[in-house]
Amino acid sequence: MLEVNGIDVFYGDAQALWDVSLSVEEGAIVALVGSNGAGKTTLLKTISGLIHARRGEILLSGKSLSNLKPQEIVGRGIIHVPEGRRLFSSLTVLENLKLGAYIPRARPFFTESLERVFSLFPALKTRIDYKAGSLSGGEQQMLAIARGIMAQPKLLMLDEPSLGLSPILVKTIFELISALNEQKTTILLVEQNINQALKIAQQAYVLKTGKIVMTGRGDELLANEEIRKAYIGERVSKR
Amino acid sequence: MGEFGIIIQVLISGILFGTMYGVAAIGLSLIFGTMRIIFFAQGTMIIFFAYICYWLFTLIGIDPYLSLILLIPISLLLGMGFYYGLFKEAAALEQKEVSLLIAIGLMWAVENIMTRVWTADPRAIVTAYTSWILRPFGINIPFTRLIALLIAVLSAIGVSLFLKRTRIGTAVRAASEDMESTTLMGINPHWVNAVTFAIGIGLAGIAGVGLATVYSFDPMYGFTFVIMSVIALALGGMGNVFGALLGGIILGLIYNLTAYFIDSTWANAICFVVFLLVLMFRPQGLFGGAAQKV
Repeated sequence: MLEVNGIDVFYGDAQALWDVSLSVEEGAIVALVGSNGAGKTTLLKTISGLIHARRGEILLSGKSLSNLKPQEIVGRGIIHVPEGRRLFSSLTVLENLKLGAYIPRARPFFTESLERVFSLFPALKTRIDYKAGSLSGGEQQMLAIARGIMAQPKLLMLDEPSLGLSPILVKTIFELISALNEQKTTILLVEQNINQALKIAQQAYVLKTGKIVMTGRGDELLANEEIRKAYIGERVSKR
Repeated sequence: MGEFGIIIQVLISGILFGTMYGVAAIGLSLIFGTMRIIFFAQGTMIIFFAYICYWLFTLIGIDPYLSLILLIPISLLLGMGFYYGLFKEAAALEQKEVSLLIAIGLMWAVENIMTRVWTADPRAIVTAYTSWILRPFGINIPFTRLIALLIAVLSAIGVSLFLKRTRIGTAVRAASEDMESTTLMGINPHWVNAVTFAIGIGLAGIAGVGLATVYSFDPMYGFTFVIMSVIALALGGMGNVFGALLGGIILGLIYNLTAYFIDSTWANAICFVVFLLVLMFRPQGLFGGAAQKV
């Protein structure tokens, strides 16, 4: 469905991604893992058109996304839920959800999408008239994902959805991602919580200082000694 | 009329005077919200529309209030044209000072074109109702100022409803919080900016009519006007339609009270001192909550 072919990405003169290739099959959860500063967010920003690749190309269902503006890429069905949620905090929960369904393709499904969102996140239903900024961290993350769902995504890209949440909420978020995927939403998941991410992903890519260093099925990578030592062990030893 | 009556009179004319700045401040607030610049040409555009109103009246005999029917759509379109013609490329840049310089350049260009076309002599519109004065409870309220107040309040309500009730209005509010995130909703940032400009210049059109019916004006008055509107905006706080209007009213009150109790030559100086004090001690404005994160 999504094909990233050999992209090089620069911030000014500094190269952030080297020859990165990745593919996401329709209906899959694909995890993109790696430590801080590895280029995960840069890759998502390139796919959503916020940054442009200097070399290589990105295809959605065989059609090139190169030279498209971010709003046009959203129109094609790639929805990026950015790191740090980036909600409109002075707007209400409902207004945030309405903006999520702004694109013409999503508007006819507004009521349907809203019901879907409320069934996935019942907590939001009681909060529709609250300002987004007044929600708890967990609720805000749910709203950020919900806002993405409102756009009827073909591909939902989640950047660090578990960041800054309590362990219980982290578990809830990962369950929700699995539930979303069961409803046929294709997901590209960026996570620092590598253990959890690899558990739910069919396919995973490991990004290290701007390069893809390893790829495989989620459970394969989870069992991989090198990965355990470099990423998962590191997390355990930190505690 | 006793001393008390005079003070009431001073207060009322302060309010009527300040609403003009309030309307201009609403425009400044909207454009600052999405573009992150003070649109310095706002005052000059108000004067420009005052001249158009003057022309329509003196050349074709169209009543100034009736001319709003023409001026509102013209100013909305002109605002959109300004964005696509002048600001679109600069808006995409990180360096906001480019847009700021374009605004200042636009101000100078329009000022000088107006001086060429209408000369630097002050102009005023004199209609049958220019000298009408209403006298409720013995207080003098000039008819044209009352209408200007009414127009200002209606514009504020209109803009507020637009921002709250329409899809694109909601997008404008979202964009003034986080433009990149707004783009990720599939919203074209240029369209949001263009709509914001249309409303900002549209308000200038409305304020131009209010001004033209009340005061005499000359091409260079726009700069003073925009500076006063910036003070109104600082008083009212960014991103709050009624706050901006109220900021204008408070500024009008400060101006008139200073002129009455101290001396009219001190009025501008005191307004600027208040401006500095507000920026130093209450940068979020008098009616804002906690200081806004930028």
